[in-house]
Parts: sequence; C-alpha cells; structure tokens
Amino acid sequence: MTTCGAALTELLEANGIDHVFGIPGVHTIELYRGLAGSGIRHVTPRHEQGAGFMADGFARASGRPAACFIITGPGMTNIATAMGQAYGDSVPMVVVSGVNQRHELGMGQGRLHELSDQRAVIRNVAAFSHTLLRPDDLPAVVERAFAALRSARPRPVHIEIPIDVLDLPADGIEAAPAASPSPPAPDPAAIAEAAQRLREAQRPALLLGGGALGAGDEARRLAEVLGSPTTLTSNAKGLLPPDHPLLLGSYMASREIAACVDESDLLLAIGTELGETDYGYDEPAGFANGAPSLIRIDIDPEQTTRNARPSLAITADARSAVAALLERLAGHSPRDGAARVARALRTDPKGSLEARFQRHHRVLEALRSALPDAIVVGDSTEPVYFGQTHFNANHPRAWFCSSTGYGTLGYALPAAIGAKLARPEAPVVAITGDGGLMYCLGEMASAVGAGAPVICLLWNNQSFEEIRHCMVEAQVEPVGVDLYSPDFLALSASVGWAAARAETLDALPELLRAAAQRSRPTLIEITPATFGELG
Amino acid sequence: MGERTTCGEALVRLLAEYDVDTVFGIPGVHTLDMYRGIANSNLRHVQPRSEQGAGFMADGYARVSGRPGVCTLITGPGVTNASTPMGQAYADSTPMLVISSENATRTLGKGWGCLHEIPDQEAVTRPLTALSATALSPDDVPELVARAFSIFSSSRPRPVHISVPIDVLAMPATGDWSARTAAALGAPDPAAIEAAAEALCRAERPLIMIGGGAVDTRAGGVAELAELLGAGIVPSNAGKGIVPDSHPLNLGTSMVKEATRAFVTECDVVLAIGTELAETDSYVEWLPINGKLIRVDIDAPKINDLYPADIGIVADAGRSLDALLGLVKAELPTPREDAAERVAAARRQRHAELDPLERIHQSMWDAIRAGLPEDAAIFADMTQLAYTGTFAMPVERPRTWFHAAGYCTLGCAMPMAIGAKVAAPERPVAAIAGDGGFMFTVGELAAAAELRQSLPILIWNNDGYAQIRDGMVRRGIPPVGVDSPNPDFLLLAEAFGCDRVRPGSFDEVSASMERALSAPRPTLIEVRQGAEWLS
Ligand SMILES: Cc1ncc(C[n+]2csc(CCOP(=O)(O)OP(=O)(O)O)c2C)c(N)n1
Ligand SMILES: Cc1ncc(C[n+]2csc(CCOP(=O)(O)OP(=O)(O)O)c2C)c(N)n1
Repeated sequence: MTTCGAALTELLEANGIDHVFGIPGVHTIELYRGLAGSGIRHVTPRHEQGAGFMADGFARASGRPAACFIITGPGMTNIATAMGQAYGDSVPMVVVSGVNQRHELGMGQGRLHELSDQRAVIRNVAAFSHTLLRPDDLPAVVERAFAALRSARPRPVHIEIPIDVLDLPADGIEAAPAASPSPPAPDPAAIAEAAQRLREAQRPALLLGGGALGAGDEARRLAEVLGSPTTLTSNAKGLLPPDHPLLLGSYMASREIAACVDESDLLLAIGTELGETDYGYDEPAGFANGAPSLIRIDIDPEQTTRNARPSLAITADARSAVAALLERLAGHSPRDGAARVARALRTDPKGSLEARFQRHHRVLEALRSALPDAIVVGDSTEPVYFGQTHFNANHPRAWFCSSTGYGTLGYALPAAIGAKLARPEAPVVAITGDGGLMYCLGEMASAVGAGAPVICLLWNNQSFEEIRHCMVEAQVEPVGVDLYSPDFLALSASVGWAAARAETLDALPELLRAAAQRSRPTLIEITPATFGELG
Repeated sequence: MGERTTCGEALVRLLAEYDVDTVFGIPGVHTLDMYRGIANSNLRHVQPRSEQGAGFMADGYARVSGRPGVCTLITGPGVTNASTPMGQAYADSTPMLVISSENATRTLGKGWGCLHEIPDQEAVTRPLTALSATALSPDDVPELVARAFSIFSSSRPRPVHISVPIDVLAMPATGDWSARTAAALGAPDPAAIEAAAEALCRAERPLIMIGGGAVDTRAGGVAELAELLGAGIVPSNAGKGIVPDSHPLNLGTSMVKEATRAFVTECDVVLAIGTELAETDSYVEWLPINGKLIRVDIDAPKINDLYPADIGIVADAGRSLDALLGLVKAELPTPREDAAERVAAARRQRHAELDPLERIHQSMWDAIRAGLPEDAAIFADMTQLAYTGTFAMPVERPRTWFHAAGYCTLGCAMPMAIGAKVAAPERPVAAIAGDGGFMFTVGELAAAAELRQSLPILIWNNDGYAQIRDGMVRRGIPPVGVDSPNPDFLLLAEAFGCDRVRPGSFDEVSASMERALSAPRPTLIEVRQGAEWLS
C-alpha cells in the first residue's frame, strides 16, 4: 500500500523537487516513509525558520523550488517569517505541513500542536494555502501548486494534510509531472504599442526587477538594443555585468541615478514592484511616478497598478515579453545611453553615503577580487545595505539579501546553506551582522550536518548598529541595541567550523580564498578594528 | 496628555499605569516612538536575540508571576517571529500582551512592497490571540489596552496583540490615557455548586482533576477538598504543584500511564477544575471518564466539548472551589478511607511499569530535585526526559513546574526560564532541554549571560531528535532527518562566557544544579544519555 504521505513525496519528485528541508515530527512522520528510497535529499535545519530560509536560498541561487516538510502548529508559525521573506521577494517554495486530524480541526480541544486556524495565519505569506481532505485530491492540489510556481508570480505555496489523511491509502496515484500551463505571453497589440513608443523615445531607461531574471541574457540585449541606462533591483543584480556601459546600478535613491531616470522620456519597468526597499523611502512613494511615460511589464496584473501608474501595462512573463519586444525592435538604432550613464556616474553615488557605509566598499571589493564567482547572500546589516545599493554582481543569482521586502534578520546563513546545496560548485558567502547571526545560530550546526562548506562573513560590531544609529538620529536614547556577544571564533570551533578574524582589510582576500578551498564551513569575523583608521 | 507626547510614548506610560514593569523586545525603525517612551520610563527593557525569544521570555515571566508578559516588536518579521510563542501562550492560557508597529496607514492593504509588509498582520495573529486589533488612531490605543487587561483579569487569559501603525505612533496623544478598572472574575451559580457538592459527597470514588486554571486557588484548598471527600487527585502539567506531589491522595501528572487511567476508570464522580482534559496530558484518544463529570471552567465552550459535563459551572476556579468547600464542610461526608491506599497502589503499579529508559529518567529527576530547593521554577522543554518528568519529578508548590505541553514547541524552555528569572530574580530557576530543543533558541544563551543570570541549563543529549527517531523506527520508516551533528556543548558554553560541566554521577548532577544557582552567570550542564554512569 502507498500512503497518501508517500504518494505526495513521489509526486514532488516527479515534479522535479530534489531537496526537502525539514524537521520531522509526529505530524509529518508519514511524509518520510517514501523519502529514504527516493532521489530526494533531505536536509535538517535546527529550526523551521532555517528550513524556510534554506529553501529560499536554494531557489534564488538556482531558480528551482525546493520543498519544506513542516509539523503543524509551532513548526508552521516558526517558518512563517521565512515564508514572509519569500512572499515579499517572489521566491518559489513548496511548504507541506501536517495538521491535526480532520475531526479535530477547528474544535479547540487542546490537541497537540493545535492552532485554531493554521491556514488563516499562512494565507498571508503564501500564494495559496490548501487543506487536503481526501487522498484523491492530491494530484490536483499538487498540479495547482506547480502551476502557481511555474506560471504565475512565484511565491510560497502551502499544502497542509491532516495526519489521518496522511496515513490513508493512496494507491493508483500516478507519480507524473503536472502539466503546467504556459506562462502568460504578452498581447501582441500591446507589444507593438510598446515597441512603437520605445522606437520613438529619445532617452529611454530600463528598470529591471527580480521578475526579469527569467529573461536572462535577453534582458541585457534589450538594454543594448534600446541603448537605455538600466537600473537593477537587488534581486535583478547581475542581469548586466558590472562593467556594462549601460549599467546605472542599484542605488535608485541617489541623486545621480534618480536624475538620470528623471530626464528620461520613457521608462520601461520589467518584473519590478517599484517598491520602497529598492527604490528609496522618499515620499510620495513611487519611484517613477513623475515619469512622462511608463510602460510596465509584469506577470502579476495587479502589480502594474502599484507604486507608480503606467501609461501602458502589459501582463506577461518577462522572458516572452522581452523576446517579443526584441523581435519588434529589430533594426532599431540604439540611443546613446552609455553617455548618459557616464554623465550620471561622473560623481560617484557612494559619495553621498555616510562613512560607516562607505567603509564596506573595501570589504565587498575584497570579496569580488578573491572570489569573483561567489554567490553572496546578505542579511540586514551595514555591509549589505552598502552592497545592495553599490555592489554590482558579476552574474545573475549571485547576490540576494533579506534587507529588501520583508526585511528580516537571521536570513543570510541558512539561505547561504540552501544556495550552496543548489550550486555546490560555487563559493557561497553569507554576509551578516552579529545581531542577525544570533537569530539563526543553530544553523551553524546544520551547515556541518548538510556538508555545506559556506563562508560566513560576520560584521561584528556587538550591536544592532543600524537601529542605534536611527535612535541617535531620532534623539531617542539608545536602548536595546548593545549586544553581549559570544566569542564567535570559539563558538565556531565548538560547532566544527574553521574561523578567523580579519585583523586588517588586506588580510581579507586571502582568508576568503582559503575558506573557499575548505571542505568545512568557515567564519571570517570583521570588526571595527579591521578597518584600522577607517573604523 | 500634552501636545508633545506622542502616541508611542503615551502607550509606554499607560503600560506603567497597568503595573507593567518589564518589556521584552527588539527595536527597529518602525518602533522608534515606542522606544522613545521606553528610554524615558522606568520600564525595564530586556533584549532577547530573536523576537521568538522575546515571546517565550514574556511567557515565562507571566507563568512565574501570574502577571502578563509584555513584548514590544516591529511589524512583519518581528510579529511572525513571535507567532510561535503566541501560539504557545494561547494553548496554555498565559496572559501576554504583544504590542507591535504596523506600516503607515496610507499603505495598509495595498501590497506596495513596503519594508516589513505583510498583507494582513491582524489576521495573522487572530488565531493565536484572544484579541488582535489595529489602532488606526491614537484614541484607539487606551481602549484596546483596557480590553487587553480585562481579558487577562476576567476571562481565560490568552495573548492580545495590538498593532499600531508607525504614523499613528508618531501622532500626538490627546484625551484620557489613564488606566481603566479591570473587570472582576465571575462567581459560580449557587445552585450548580450545590448540585456539585451533593454529587461529590455522595460519590463512592470521587476524583479531582486540576489544571492551569486552578493555579491561583487558595493554597491548600484542593487538597482539603480531596481530604474531606477521600478523593484522588490528578493534575495536568499546568496544574502540577497545586497539590504537592507528595500528598498521599495525589496520583501525579500521570494520565499518560495505564495505572493512572485504570484508577480514573473506576471513579464515579469526577470534578475537573480549570482543565481542558486535553490529549496532551494523556496521549489517548479518549480519557476513560465514566463517572459523573463536574466541570468548572472560566471558558464556557470548554464545559461541553469533548467531555460534556453533567454539571457545568462557568466561573472563576478559586471562587468555585471556596463555595464547594463551604458546602462540603457543612455536609461533612465520611471520607472514602480507602482512597489513599488505592492511590498508593496505582503509584506503585505505575512505578513497576517504567521502562528502562524511564528508570534512568527517574533517577535523573531525583538528582535534579535534590539539587534544587522547593521553590525552584523548572522549565522543561520537549525532550523525552521531560515527558517522564511530568510524573517523575516531584513538585511541591504551584508555579514551579513548567512544561508547555499543548503547543509543544521545541526550544521554549531556556528563554522562558530567562523571562521567569527576570520576573522573580530571587527565585531559583532552571531549564532542562534536549540537544535538539536547545539548538532551536541557542542564541538566547547570550541574553542569559548578558543578564548574568544564575541559571542552570541542563542539556539531555541523546544525539538527535530521539522522540521522532523512535517514532520512525516504531512505524517501520528508515530514520531520516533525526541525527544532526551537535556542537561540543561545553566549548559552546565557554564561547558564551558561561560556566559548564559534564557531571559524572547523579550526585554530581545535584551538586552542579546547586552550584549553578549561585554562580554569577549561566551554567550549561550536559548529560549524555549514553554515559555509563547512568545505567
Ligand atoms: C526580525 C527583525 N527584527 C528586527 C529588525 C530591525 N532591525 C533592522 S536592522 C537591525 C540591526 C541588525 O543588527 P546587526 O545584524 O548586528 O547588523 P548591524 O546593524 O550592526 O550592521 C534590526 C534590529 C528586523 N529587520 N528584523
Ligand atoms: C518547533 C517544533 N518542531 C518540531 C517538533 C517535533 N518534535 C517533537 S519532539 C522532537 C525531538 C526533540 O529532540 P530533543 O530536543 O533532542 O529531545 P529528545 O526527543 O531527543 O529527548 C521533535 C523534532 C516540535 N515539537 N516543535
């Protein structure tokens, strides 16, 4: 007999899932029956939040979803933050959880792990949340999940299965891949209209978001065909390489970049929500609101109505929209965007930053020079804020962080573990503050367990420095921001990590190179003293 | 309130008026106006290393003191991080007030992708709280806080979550910001009490079951009633200690044991006070309650849930017990003399049925008990050692045994113990956790070290998630995901600046516990389940 739980595992595998992150419990045990004999690798974090962040890092690094197996109640509330981060940044993941038996649901009897309405909690951090009430429904629910992941704005999906249903026989369910609907192609008339306007534009600019990742090299080609200065959100970094003459960068809130965008006569925004965490916190919200003409292309039609009002909105998958535009733009003579970019960047936008951010320039450049092919995974911390605005990644999917969108702490390390599992050949570097690392300390042990030799670049200033700074600015006497910290080097040793402190910035590249050679994880600590006089 | 007092500051002052003396929280950009108030107040601010820690600390604070634990958190990830502790406090009926920020009112519900945005924060915590509400103007705040404290004082205590948008926090507070009088608890219906007293006095084999709802009944009251009647007593985890475990009529928190359930089967009248009769105290599908059932509960729906009452009394447990005692004393029934003897037999039987591992657990608890004074507060995580501890650890006083059996969250014990120690610095407090559970919230060790708490933390190390490993083996599933490598716990403790010890005998366990209670820092005590001296 195949139980419903085992059938689900088979279906996931048939749909290309090869990694599951989870902590088993009484409420998910039946999901594990099929696992041992399957081609799926199971990785155990030390907290369900870690499971979610690992799946997130896995997906951002590879473009492929992973699954999480999570117990009901505390397991699901534990993973909620990680789902929130993925929801905010449009990252796909499949979260499968148990839930109490059908006859117990909503009864408030004080059952083990009881949560009065789990779906009500999770609905806010998922594209959908479904309770499977009969094994027969399983194929359709799995198809729905993969349809949502492959053909719509990618976001976490949640399937919860009552434990009595998990145990039921589910023979005869064929472990076949779901027939996915094709992602929406653009309306040819709308594309024609957009191409016409782009042809007429003298000073176009291109705003690319994480949704444009699917267009890959074609996104860069579009920029080149148009000759348009191009901005990249955090999740779009790498779509244009750092030395590309059309690359304006990611510091959209800077005077320099904003001015260049403002002088444009047409903006084309693809796969970007134009949200404040990438475009700046200035009010009134809406980066491109003042633009004379804005064309938005997004897979999510609602998205084209938010933050800035377009004069033309196209619902489409970025890949097919960009391909269609390129076709229509054949023979177009590119404008001189490179000159505009050069003019805009004559003054280095970094110049307007405070020294506490600027100093991290050298950290990130050391990282680039030592490990040019690294995947960099950032938390919410000063060097990452700096990188988010100023670091131009060498490749797509080689930079992502949690200071965008949901903006949580404790993301970088577990997400880096997920990224490393997805891309074992690439060096993976987590950049985190001491405050952020304390959120997810247990995952240091998971990295060892998973055999994921990640590198953790720890910015240790023994405080929630960003918040202290805000308090001082707002004339609030700092409270709750000074942190007693463990000795991170000794701590690393206790979990089987290699560890070193960068005494100077010059020492950093070598430490990073050595770390990338190791078969076990390495922590590299940077402290204010590392910066010498700059610190 | 003066023109210049912001809503955030006024809110903090208002909390002080409700006798709040401590808040647990992590500040952020979204809570600056609350923290302005905190900085200028006499409130103590305790900083955990994650909002999950904040919630558990508030829970521990509340369980030990009986007063609501208060958290101040940022919107989005701050709230979802605290959702697990809220779920736990909900399941275990602990008063907890979570005050969080929310994004600016003009952005609510729009999906703009603002920092920390979640579609509907209030909806997320609704299933985890007695009340989740958003203050859309400063005037809403005093009313919502008053509702919170009324819920705590006069209904089943459960978390309350108040969200205050960041722009509202910054608005001037005008109007009446004084504390309002809290509602008193309901008294029992005299007729129902009379019927209950009569049934009890006539009973041949009466039984009293007590839960967390009875914790604040008059000291000795339950024992006196049991003695007058000759009734056996079975406390739930939350009710453990209301009657000393050494009392000859007390069967202990042992409904998981066949011997105790056999005793219960034979009882002809069962008085259940402030207990859900939940599965998590018995782990059987159906409690063998055959006798007439009298239920006293403050929460009306409980009266007729899985175990419908023959006599249902919706009222405060203390007042109901006093009323019952008055009538029973007047009636002066002949106590059922064989009661103590039957209780003793059931206990002997239970003891005889212990399996080999449980016998080791029993010796461990005896050793732990010997190292802790009677008033010590013991927080036991979700480990096999603790499951045995529910009946094996002798406890003599109320509010000294804390095992959050309902939501059953791994990693809750240490942060709860930290919160308890904050509430009652003079009380000895200890935490017991498995290796798996400890790692969930290991970062909070820094909080304990920072506070220089004399806190013994005993890790019961069986190299993995043993409870689940055993479950897989029992179900014929090849173990997956249950054997993660652990840190070297002693080195880890050192890295945190904590004392550490690995006892080599039961006597050393006792001595280590005792020493830890007066050390000027936390002590990590590791016991390996495989150690030779244990068997
Ligand atoms: C879960 C969560 N809680 C609180 C915050 C608010 N917050 C943003 S940055 C920050 C400080 C982080 O400190 P650290 O990681 O040490 O980095 P630093 O600011 O010192 O560079 C805090 C508390 C947040 N973003 N997420
Ligand atoms: C947050 C959460 N995730 C998962 C579980 C499921 N679960 C219950 S007990 C257990 C094993 C705990 O291991 P450990 O703390 O080492 O104690 P042991 O069972 O080995 O004594 C697990 C994973 C849970 N109760 N809570």
